[in-house]
Amino acid sequence: MASPFSGALQLTDLDDYIRPSQDCIKPIKVDKRLGSGVAKIHIEDDGSYFQVSQARGTQKLEKAKISLNDCLACSGCVTSAESVLIIQQSHEELRKILNANKVAVPDQQKLVVISVSPQSVASLAARFQLNPTDTSRKLTSFFKKIGVHYVFDTAFSRNFSLLESQREFVQRFQSQANSGQALPVLASACPGWICYAEKTHGSFLLPHLSTVRSPQQVMGALVKDFFAQQQHLTPDRLYHVTVMPCYDKKLEASRPDFFNQEFQTRDVDCVITTGEMFKLLEEEGVSFPDLEPAPLDVLSSCASAEEPTSHRGGGSGGYLEHVFRHAAWELFGIHVAEVTYKPLRNKDFQEVTLERDGQVLLHFATAYGFRNIQNLVQKLRRGRCPYHYVEVMACPSGCLNGGGQLRALDGRSKELLQQVERLYGEVRTQEPRDVPGVQKLYRHWLQGEGSNRAGHLLYTQYHAVEKASFGFSIKW
Amino acid sequence: MKDSLVLLGRVPAHPDSRCWYLAWNPAGTLLASCGGDRRVRIWGTEGDSWVCKSVLSDGHQRTVRKVAWSPCGNYLASASFDATTCIWKRNQDGFECVTTLEGHENEVKSVAWAPSGNLLATCSRDKSVWVWEVDEEDEYECVSVLSSHTQDVKHVVWHPSQELLASASYDDTVKLYREEEDDWVCCATLEGHESTVWSLAFDPSGQRLASCSDDRTVRIWQQYLPGNEQGVACSSSDLSWKCVCTLSGFHSRTIYDIAWCQLTGALATACGDDAIRVFEEDPGSDPQQPTFSLTAHLPQAHSQDVNCVAWNPKELGLLASCSDDGEVAFWKYQRPEAL
Repeated sequence: MASPFSGALQLTDLDDYIRPSQDCIKPIKVDKRLGSGVAKIHIEDDGSYFQVSQARGTQKLEKAKISLNDCLACSGCVTSAESVLIIQQSHEELRKILNANKVAVPDQQKLVVISVSPQSVASLAARFQLNPTDTSRKLTSFFKKIGVHYVFDTAFSRNFSLLESQREFVQRFQSQANSGQALPVLASACPGWICYAEKTHGSFLLPHLSTVRSPQQVMGALVKDFFAQQQHLTPDRLYHVTVMPCYDKKLEASRPDFFNQEFQTRDVDCVITTGEMFKLLEEEGVSFPDLEPAPLDVLSSCASAEEPTSHRGGGSGGYLEHVFRHAAWELFGIHVAEVTYKPLRNKDFQEVTLERDGQVLLHFATAYGFRNIQNLVQKLRRGRCPYHYVEVMACPSGCLNGGGQLRALDGRSKELLQQVERLYGEVRTQEPRDVPGVQKLYRHWLQGEGSNRAGHLLYTQYHAVEKASFGFSIKW
Repeated sequence: MKDSLVLLGRVPAHPDSRCWYLAWNPAGTLLASCGGDRRVRIWGTEGDSWVCKSVLSDGHQRTVRKVAWSPCGNYLASASFDATTCIWKRNQDGFECVTTLEGHENEVKSVAWAPSGNLLATCSRDKSVWVWEVDEEDEYECVSVLSSHTQDVKHVVWHPSQELLASASYDDTVKLYREEEDDWVCCATLEGHESTVWSLAFDPSGQRLASCSDDRTVRIWQQYLPGNEQGVACSSSDLSWKCVCTLSGFHSRTIYDIAWCQLTGALATACGDDAIRVFEEDPGSDPQQPTFSLTAHLPQAHSQDVNCVAWNPKELGLLASCSDDGEVAFWKYQRPEAL
């Protein structure tokens, strides 16, 4: 079976399909009581383990369970086995919550919120031969039917990711004289790339990563902080699901950085891929094209609900495009109407430059897919990286081609990708700053741009995973 | 058959260590050896004896598993368990490490140059095969990372004249790759071996590929073009590869390496039973169902596992072998007259 994870993740060995119990080297902490003396371990016919000790008789021993967090925090093999992911994040889990809601007393019910990525919408639109607006409305209709309370669009939270990416870049560019490490800034919205950077390159790449949260995780903050307050609920009373083009997003949602200790809840409780979304539609026996379209939900009362909106700059979010145009204006007073991409070695490595009087002022690039990430990293290692900003994505062709997207039924994957790109591009684009509701949220929810609160809710941090050395790894 | 393989000389190439692999330079004048002592040694003749001309140390932190010469003979690539591949440039004084290719997650198992010299392939225990492009300034860029295998990739080899790459893996398969648009794709998977495929060799024409395995067999795969007379099914425009011969019953242990002489077409194997064997295609055998005969068998060629066999590209019948015993041996192969 082909692995669902992005190439970068597969290479970090996260995806070995080793079942956690088989070959996992993660040391498990076992609560041990001192002084119980010698004990024997007895294995029953059914494979369960019993500890037999003189002091306390026979006790069944607990199975060691490896969680997704254990895997993320470990530099060892692997597990990732899908089984670990499925335990915590799948459309089955969503169904469980919805079923539990049906029988729970009102104050035990969860408010179920789903945030759908525009890339997933484009993929489903291609499959059902619908336009993105109809697809979004029918999706909303479907979710409401099965008991979901609100359906949002992560293009809305992306406004904040883009605005903060712009702000962060200008700051780092201006302070580059003071700290040599600030540039290039490497986009961080792709969790496969982040996982690879943390696990494989230790602390080397981390200072370069943009610390802005991805749209999924900004949405997490919006839903569990802003929206929860609006609903007069504590964050743990909301169950927040995202629909994403990518399996790696499940790992992102599980990062401890996005866990609310006080309420013991995650900003995003569950991530389902576009493919799992499709499976859910099938299992519910729904004829998607026949669904009545429902009006779209909005997070903020002044946001528009007529049709979905998006951003310019391509199917991976438009980070380069937004940062480039903003920086050109803020730093050099140059208005860039159209951004011109120059393909280099392959279509997934492109450059953009801003020049004045023959002098290069800004030098940006997109690096998609693992091979281009490799070349970028090697350039950085050799001190020969000419770029100020790089939009890095683990998947070739970017997020519209994510590992969680629907596959072509006829095997013509290139044609399908082109169709998905065309559908994605049909959605009307807006400047993040001008999107209704954004300014108001900055003022009231975040207490102003650049505030501590914005820093807390819109930014994150990265952690080098040091390679552990194990006694049994023989070094020839 | 008894005297068809005659020992010419033996050198303790990597003393107190294993000698893993050998590679003749294209001119056939130098032999590179590598081993568990983290070194590459370059051997040449002085009079009748083989002497060490250079030692390439300081390039690697761990075992050097394989070496490969560039088609021009001016560069040598070494693949190491330290996860890197070093590119050594030959100059008047010897060899200088000009680039270290990093990126594989762990042990690099093999390295090979394409016939053009512009492309290099590496493979690793990380299950991936990488294709690198070389520019005029000796800069290497990764042009593709291929994750088709599901296990450790043991060997990579290029077609003798085309940009077609083959890899062998612990997942028991052989895979072939070609360039499509601006990336590389896996265009064929050869299934049949029942255990790890350790090594591969193309015949001089490039129409046949030999694979050797832990299942103690050698398989000969033949290329079929779309619309071939034999009616072998091909998918769309891709070549099809069919196993036309299996050599079984000859080897008593794992076959670690196979070499197809580009001058004579003789097929040599390196085996875990310490023996070297040579096979030749029977004259007049059906090209669609060829038969091969064992023409040489040297049971105690080395005192331990034979890891590699390498035919000299210029001198007819000159074969080099190396072993876990750390030695390199040179042999003269003479086709028995009975054939």
